[in-house]
Amino acid sequence: MTKSTVRLAILASLLTATASAQQKAGSLAKTGPTTLDPAKPIAITGGKLLTITHGTVENGILVIENGKITAVGAAGSVKVPANAQILDAKGMTVYPGLIDSESHLGLTEISAERNTNDLVEPSDEIMPHMHVADAFHAESALIPVARYNGITNAIVAPESRDTLPGQDSFIQLAGADATQMLLIRDIAMPLNFTGSQRRNESFANAQYPQTRMGMAAQMRQAFTDAQGYVTKWEEYNKKKAAAKATDSPPSTPSRDLKLEALLPYLEGKKPVIVKAEEPNDVETAYALAQEFKLHVILNGLTHSQAIYDKIAQWKLPVILGSIYDEPKEWQRYDAVYKMPGELSKRGVKIAFASFESHQVRNLPYAAGFAVAFGLPYDEAMKALTLYPAQIWGVDDQLGSLDVGKTANVVVASGDPLDVKTVVQHVFIQGRDVPMVNRQTELRDRYSNR
Amino acid sequence: MTSKSARQAGRLRLLPLVLMVVAEGLAAQQPASFSATHSGKNEFVIQNATLLTTTHGRIEHGSVYVKDGKIVAYGSNVSAPASAPMIDAEGKYVTPGIIDPHSHMALDGDVNEATSPVVPQMMMKDAFDYNDKAIYRALAGGVTSSLLLHGSADMIGGQAVVIKNKYGLDRDQMLFPGAPQSIKFASGENPKRVFGDKKQLPSTRMGNFEVMREAFTQAKDYQRTWDEYNDKVKKNDKTATRPKTDLKLEALVQVMQGKMLVQIHCYRADEFLTEIAIANEFGYKIRAFHHALESYKVPEALAKNDIAIATFADWWGYKYEAWDAIPWNAVLAMRAGVRVAIKSDSDDYMRRLNQEAAKTMRYGGATEDEAMKMLTLNPAWIMGVEDKTGSIDVGKDADLVLWDGYPLSSYGVPAKVWIDGDLYFDRALPGLGMPQFQEGQ
Repeated sequence: MTKSTVRLAILASLLTATASAQQKAGSLAKTGPTTLDPAKPIAITGGKLLTITHGTVENGILVIENGKITAVGAAGSVKVPANAQILDAKGMTVYPGLIDSESHLGLTEISAERNTNDLVEPSDEIMPHMHVADAFHAESALIPVARYNGITNAIVAPESRDTLPGQDSFIQLAGADATQMLLIRDIAMPLNFTGSQRRNESFANAQYPQTRMGMAAQMRQAFTDAQGYVTKWEEYNKKKAAAKATDSPPSTPSRDLKLEALLPYLEGKKPVIVKAEEPNDVETAYALAQEFKLHVILNGLTHSQAIYDKIAQWKLPVILGSIYDEPKEWQRYDAVYKMPGELSKRGVKIAFASFESHQVRNLPYAAGFAVAFGLPYDEAMKALTLYPAQIWGVDDQLGSLDVGKTANVVVASGDPLDVKTVVQHVFIQGRDVPMVNRQTELRDRYSNR
Repeated sequence: MTSKSARQAGRLRLLPLVLMVVAEGLAAQQPASFSATHSGKNEFVIQNATLLTTTHGRIEHGSVYVKDGKIVAYGSNVSAPASAPMIDAEGKYVTPGIIDPHSHMALDGDVNEATSPVVPQMMMKDAFDYNDKAIYRALAGGVTSSLLLHGSADMIGGQAVVIKNKYGLDRDQMLFPGAPQSIKFASGENPKRVFGDKKQLPSTRMGNFEVMREAFTQAKDYQRTWDEYNDKVKKNDKTATRPKTDLKLEALVQVMQGKMLVQIHCYRADEFLTEIAIANEFGYKIRAFHHALESYKVPEALAKNDIAIATFADWWGYKYEAWDAIPWNAVLAMRAGVRVAIKSDSDDYMRRLNQEAAKTMRYGGATEDEAMKMLTLNPAWIMGVEDKTGSIDVGKDADLVLWDGYPLSSYGVPAKVWIDGDLYFDRALPGLGMPQFQEGQ
């Protein structure tokens, strides 16, 4: 159907360009190594540019230099540097790299194999001093698989089994090592309140917290302890400052890394990602966050249809829970599919998330499916690019095809949200990342025997 | 159920036959309005649609004429009585109903009888919960028929139930009439783990396959005992002593007699080969490998033995035996001549199998017809109902889906779903979108 006849014509003068870069969309043909030299300017020409911030440009040109977008516009209006390498994108769609607002990339390889998992520390519910950056496995085989479908950036979060499971990082899906890929460490902290953080529902085996009251009380205590910790240090510092040289110095309070980890959140310097699904949980968790004046980003809301109007009034951004969550027994089949459209209609700023590891690559299809259930197409694209960039505070660098932004750019055979679209090139920081992963290697090994 | 299949199936199959008769009685007790719509006697024409027939390609501006539960005519020029109600499908698509050849919905959690690695006497029909809303959600996703399988805890699991997703009807009205009996086998990590954790056999792949050989060897002995007894009876030998009837071994005898479609949960290439060798040793055929994520490594072996696969489009990495899964698996196997179906094995994915099938177009370039086959006709073949459903063909059951948006895309959403010519789902209706069904009915 969309079997593209498009070929990538690459200037013969290029050192690294080879015939293997010519790939028919959807074919079983081998994908070649990277083709374009990131040290020289790159011009992507003739494609349909989905700029996100200033509409669609047919037959557009996008220029990349030194890892940044240096020009965007219609052919004729953009000056292509004389030494630019040309990537002919005629018939292609060009769009900013997609952002997954919650994944577990780098924390797992094989779900059922315990030794390959660093998803969550379940020994206690309050674990704000866990940093996914400490576990992030840059060489994970899952990352090139996600990248293969045009996902260039993601939030890495711990699994949601704990109420406060630790701190998220914001990554890019390419780089020589973890230091290059971890763009922002400890960018935010999940606060999970879905009910599944309770420790045992049976009376016989229950541990604290057995109920939502317990979960809330435990968190309230943790934030209160952190406030007390601040006071203790303030008093100590005051005493120390007031002490004369002849006085014996006040005794130094002992450090507490767990409580210290909560401080940037208590001070509202970083956002807390409040995850809840049912209306009562959403309201309880939101009230708890307000009690401590936390800076809130909502997450989930899959079964909160009844309070969408109220949520909209809170004027908070929302990481959409998985639209594939099954509706409640009494609900119509499409109650959750409609969530993105319903929230968008009410003016809520939304961002899609996969909540996945192996299947991060399917993130754009969920946005496409949401379009089929009422979300305007442009909003769906924004909810994968610009809106998450804004929510995560990186919209000066990411989220649209604009001059000065980081060149995270995808070139694909068609509509980014359609299942059939074949991604041809993924640029991350201006580098044409090889379209190779563990799965293409297995495919090539066994299809060419 | 035909008398032929009843005879083939033997004594164990008498039970469903009886139930079918009861079912007809129950149908008469439905409220009048309900049976009027779900009568199997409707007549209508869908006009002006893009037909994706599966067997005859795409027909633009096509019509389908349905009468008495069957497809009577289809094509660009269809003659139907003027009295037949018309449904205008301008801008919409019509496909055969989706068939899901691997589901565990509507079993109320009773998926695995994991107390023994060999339990072929389990009948999934005994756990079938026809009130499960999952059936409604599958229906709303365009799935008209599902194979409800035993789980994969056991090397030899129970006997499946084939249903049409007529949500709102009675239990026995949902059973697919005349569908052959399928049985579920498994292999690999699941039986190893389930019994290994209990410090029982099997805890390795050696153990897995030995348990199977042991079971079939016992079944052979059992069969011989009965053959000898029947022989004596025939010769009027008064010393003939009737052996005990063992339902478990009886089921395995039926497998060896080719009376059941053998559906095997199997991931790894080497295990396909071992399963084929064991099937040859005991003289039965394998209908399909399920999951079959390493089919692309040995597709010739599957094609040569006419073994289909029911596979995921792109699942991988959830366990070690899924580590070599690649999304090109379906197309690579298909190109080697394997009959490929995309299945759900999930109450979530069964709601959007059309998108899953479309992934084979993205990974490997399956054509529209090939993707449609993976969604309809090939799963129907796996379940042995390909002569009744799975394509838009004259004489087949009128199991049809009218789509808003192109079905093989992110945007395809079923607008209406008919089964046996009766309308079971209509997106335009409020509430659940079911013409007659209401809560509590």
